[in-house]
Parts: sequence; C-alpha cells; structure tokens
Amino acid sequence: MNLSKILPYKKQTLKSFFTFEFTPLNIFMFLLTIGLVTAMLWGVGAYLVQGHHAYGVTRQHAWGLLIAMYVFFVVSSTGLCIMSSLGHVFNIKAFQIIGKRAIIGAIITILTGFAVIAFEIGHPVRMVIYNVLTPGLTSAIWWMGTLYGMYLFFIILEFLFLNNENHKYSKIFGLAGLVVGLAAHSNLGAVFGFLVARPIANGVFFPLYFILSAMVTGSYLLFLIYGWRYKMDFPPEVQKFMVTLAQVLGLLLAILMFFEIWRALTAIYGDMPERGDIARHMIGSKRFLIGEVLLGMLIPFIIIVLSKGRAIKLMVYASITGMIGIFWMRYDLVDDTQLAPMLPLKIREYLPAPGLTEYTPTSVEWMIAIGAIGLAFMMYYAADKFFDLDHTTENVH
Amino acid sequence: MMARYGMALDYKNCINCKACESACKEENGILLGADYHRIWVGVREIEGVFPNLSIGSSSFEPSQCQQCDNAPCQEVCPTNATYYDDNGVVRVNPDQCILCTYCMQACPYDARYIDDRTTTVDKCNFCSDTRLIHGETTTACQATCPTKVRIFGDLDDPDSEISKVLRDREYHKLKEHLGTRPKLFYLT
Repeated sequence: MNLSKILPYKKQTLKSFFTFEFTPLNIFMFLLTIGLVTAMLWGVGAYLVQGHHAYGVTRQHAWGLLIAMYVFFVVSSTGLCIMSSLGHVFNIKAFQIIGKRAIIGAIITILTGFAVIAFEIGHPVRMVIYNVLTPGLTSAIWWMGTLYGMYLFFIILEFLFLNNENHKYSKIFGLAGLVVGLAAHSNLGAVFGFLVARPIANGVFFPLYFILSAMVTGSYLLFLIYGWRYKMDFPPEVQKFMVTLAQVLGLLLAILMFFEIWRALTAIYGDMPERGDIARHMIGSKRFLIGEVLLGMLIPFIIIVLSKGRAIKLMVYASITGMIGIFWMRYDLVDDTQLAPMLPLKIREYLPAPGLTEYTPTSVEWMIAIGAIGLAFMMYYAADKFFDLDHTTENVH
Repeated sequence: MMARYGMALDYKNCINCKACESACKEENGILLGADYHRIWVGVREIEGVFPNLSIGSSSFEPSQCQQCDNAPCQEVCPTNATYYDDNGVVRVNPDQCILCTYCMQACPYDARYIDDRTTTVDKCNFCSDTRLIHGETTTACQATCPTKVRIFGDLDDPDSEISKVLRDREYHKLKEHLGTRPKLFYLT
C-alpha cells in the first residue's frame, strides 16, 4: 500500500530534512529548540529516577506546573481547532486559508500536552488499561481524557482529508473534532469546577472560561504561526485573514476581560472563607496583574483597539506576550485552586499556623514543562518539511 | 455479613497520648516519618494572653477519613480505584490507582496521602484488610484508646454501642454542608 496515496507527503532525504536557510532567526530557533528538547530530556531522566519526589508538589498542593502546562497545551490545541473550524466548518471566508496549518498545530499541541501529562500521572500505562476496564463515569478526568483521545483521532482524520483536498470528509471530521473537542475541553474546566471542597474553583466559571480562553490562545498562536511562516511579508489573502483575526481577537479579549471582572467581583463579594481571601490574594499578585492582565490581555487588546486590528505585524509580537500571559493564566488556575489548605481539626499540630499552601516548581518541573515547547517546535518543523501546509488558490475566494 | 460501619468520637476525653496513631502505624505498616497519614490528633492550643487564658479553647481532636456515604474522592476517581466496599467503607484498590491525585484535590478533609510503598493514594479504611476481613469488629485505633474516645460499630444495627450512643448524645459532623454525609460523629 502506498502511504502517499492516503496522506500525500513530500519525500525527504536526511540531508534535505535538516537543511534550512541560515538566517539569524532560523539559527536562533534551531538552537532554542535543541536547548528546550535537551532540557526536557534531562528533566524526564530525573523524573524517571526519582519519581514525584523530583517535583515540588506536596500533599496539600498535589498538582503543580506540569498540570498547568498540560492545560496550556490542550487549551492551545482546542483553540486552534475552534479557530480553524471558523473557516472550513462554518465557511467564514477569511479563515478558509488556515485549515491545514491550524489543524497540524492542534495535533502537535495536544500530543505535546499528552507527553507532559505522561510525566505527571503516576501510572500512565495503568491509566490506559483501567480507563477502559473500569471507567469512572462520574469523573471529569475520565471524560476529559476519553474525549480528548477521540478528539485527536478526529482531527488526524480531518488533517488527512484536508491534505487530500477532500472537503466533504474534512468538513465532517472537522465538525466531529470541534464538537468532541469542545466537550473534552469544557470537561477539563469541570475537573476544577466540580471540586465541591474548593469554593474558589467550584462552579460554572471554569468550563466556560476554558472555551473562551482557548479561542484567545488559538488566535495568538495563529498570529505566531503565520508571522513565522511569512516572516512578516504577508500575501494579500493572508493579510486579510490576519486583520479579521485581530478583530475577532479584540472581541474575544473584551469578553474575556468582562468574564474576569465579574468572576473577581463575585469571588470577593461577601468575603466567603476559602473564596474571598483566595481571590484577593490572587488579584493582588504580580502573576495576575503583570502576567495575566498586562501581558495576556491588555497589551494585545490595546494594540487591536488603537489600530482597529490593522497592526498585524505588531500583533505577531504582542502574541508572544499574549502566550506568556496565557501560561500564567494556566499556572494560576491550578495554583489558586489549591491555595486554601484543607485542615479539618488539624489546625495547629504538625503544620504551621493556618495560612495558604505553598508551592514552588523544582528545576526538574521547569525543564519538562518549558522543554516541552521545544518538542512542539520540533514536531512543527518536521510537519512543515513533510506536508504542504500552505493554502491553495482554491482556498482563496 | 454486611454492615455499615461508622465511628463516634467522644473527643473531649482525648488526652493526646497518640496511642491510636502508633497502633494505626503498626497495624497498617505506615512508613516511619510519614506523619498525619491515615489518622492524626489535632490540637487546639490555649488561646488568649496570661492571665486571661481560655481553657475551653484547648482541646484535642482526633481525625481521619470521614468515611463519607457520598464521598467526593470516590466520585472523581477516573478508574474506580476508590470504591465503597460491602460495609460502606471507602477503600482504594492500589492496582487500579493511576496516581492522578484527583481524589486528593476532591477530599474536603485532607484524608488522603501518597503511600510511598506502592506509589498510589491511600487512606484510612477502618482496618478492613487487617481486622474486618477476619470477622473482627474493632479497629486498631479504637482497640488501643485508653480513655475510650472511639466507639466503632455498625450504624445499621440498632443494638450496637454506636447506635445507642448516637441516640443518646448530641454530636456534630465535619463540613456536613458539602453533602458528603460523613460517618464520623463528634460527640459533644
């Protein structure tokens, strides 16, 4: 059977695979990718030797940086999937050119997310076995994991049909991937939202917020992917797409800020224990003010508003700050959920006076978490070499 | 024979001798240095400034897994490693535990911990695999308590000591408002 008939790919020799234009930017990205992947391998090595003791997680703060990074990657994946569906599922013209590139991005980011979580879940192989043998149907983690598995399957098929220019089936699997992806991703929000013991997380906010912030993340990533692809020299149809993308992103950011403001106000109002105090702590932190608000929302938003979405080159740079902001959003949501210690009658003994739980990621956690970005870069480089990810004239209307 | 086991704690009798903790560690093979695993005694220190000290604020409060009838830890387990056994005891099957630690997030009582022997999450199981399985109706902590703080027994048996005590005395449960329906009763 000829693979290229199912999935057309460009033939590469070892030499051509590793050949790229020696521009300063390319060399920088090459070295960055090598460095990040090495860091990840180093971290994984330390984890395989020491297990969870290599991490800074504790009994009271059992989820750490790797969970945040897993969320970061799967949010990216869902976001890219949603944004690309605007084109080839919902037929919005400006978005029709991004299909293949966005979907391969979604595949790569979810695979990276799975790679990260594999080093956080204590028994990943056992997970695959008992996920099937004894499914916990009341568990948001079960639904999230199972639906993400299906989602990956659907978007791989979608990519396959997009490559074959089979728009009927790519649309069907695109829609399936979108629906299952939305279900999976809101379930990830529910992993936190279902925690009745933790008032700061409990409720409807996270499942909704996850979808909204996924769309914001997807938009930032599209700016970065297209900025990189065309090295800031955009053809007219791409320019048109990016202006539309900026305008959509402006709206999304406005809604996100509206969500965040009301979340903060309802959390603080009444000063309910384990909610009001945590919310005040969170809102006063530099991570929130500088990371989430300034980098993640305000800088890109102001650029979009002032330029009416036309400053697309500036938006590519603003998307870097945007992604840093998104990272802190993920970190904070995991951390904030666990800040209030559960202390039933264990008030004084064995523990310091009741305060907030403390967690600092270890270097091993940082190496795996940030190193995984290199893994995503590497996969993207390979995908760009093997597949023709550019739009055809057929996509341009 | 099926039962629905619970424990009443006459906690004001507790003298903080920690015999229960020692017995529990011995019975269940808890590793050395693994503090507040399975059970613990909480201490409320005397509040106030001398000479205006509040003697009433000083108390010892033994605690552990609350053996909820509606356990959040069981509900969130993705592989059903956490389950209710025939006696209504919330237990963990270490072979099925994937160490996602979602149960540790969900438990409102901080009753769960990672057992470094099996690298799975574990908790108090009312000595199910060391005593109840052999037909005994005691737990290590209860059997050893010198001031008889702990009353262990079948809540469904109207003639059991615990049923009688719960009929006769006032009690409170921890974080009941979360709907967990705990089976540990603090006698007041």
